[in-house]
Amino acid sequence: MAAFRWQFAACPSTLSDYSPVSTATLAWTRRRQNQGHRNCNSANIKTFHGLSYSGGSSTCGGRNRSSVRCFSALTPELKTTLDKVVTSDKVVVFMKGTKDFPQCGFSNTVVQILKSLNVPFETINILENELLRLGLKEYSSWPTFPQIYIDGEFFGGCDITVEAYKSGELQEVLEKAMCS
Amino acid sequence: MAVTKEQVESTLNSKLNPSHLDVSDTSGGCGASYCVEIVSEQFEGKRLLERHRMVNTALAEEMKQIHALSITKALTPQQWALQNPPPPNPQSPPAAA
Repeated sequence: MAAFRWQFAACPSTLSDYSPVSTATLAWTRRRQNQGHRNCNSANIKTFHGLSYSGGSSTCGGRNRSSVRCFSALTPELKTTLDKVVTSDKVVVFMKGTKDFPQCGFSNTVVQILKSLNVPFETINILENELLRLGLKEYSSWPTFPQIYIDGEFFGGCDITVEAYKSGELQEVLEKAMCS
Repeated sequence: MAVTKEQVESTLNSKLNPSHLDVSDTSGGCGASYCVEIVSEQFEGKRLLERHRMVNTALAEEMKQIHALSITKALTPQQWALQNPPPPNPQSPPAAA
């Protein structure tokens, strides 16, 4: 059975600092990976505006000619995409690094716990995409990573996962999710 | 500018009025990461996730500069008392014969 893998890729802004509107584009690719073939032959690529702001400079003040409005990284399009991502697998972990190469002690702890419980889980590396990283903090109302979603619902970060693992609650929640 | 341990303690004291609070700088004095142990009546009736959110919300401004925050304990006073029972009173010496 083919495995699906989510990948977020950020496209750089194409406009100069003095343009009235600078747009960053967030593109996600859903790739079909056949066994033994990691390069996709067909990809469904969707691009949408992940961020837009007026003023020209990426920070408030500076060389702005027009007023700068504060922006939210969580655009409606990103929210819709994240709604799909968190429900695409029973367990989804937004982390620093990947499950094979975690790049943070807290993220690694969560990965090791889930591996020890022998549950299938998907990981998404938030270090690859700044907009995703910022947007997720708003989406989850959680300021740090890793962020664990079980059955589409935010479960918690590393501390909560460790506590729940020690108490057995994590195992119960996972079992319930797998059976649903 | 790095956040100091005193700032974290002051913010948590004023916003959550804890009966017990222990904040440790786990970044070797750089103010980049902290470990928090907090006991507050405001956690009553709230699940662990909600309690952590309350701490995160209380430290929202500090979180902009802190790299990592670990909440090792977020308990109600009752839960804290169960985990930390008072030491038994030493037995009074036997009366002389």
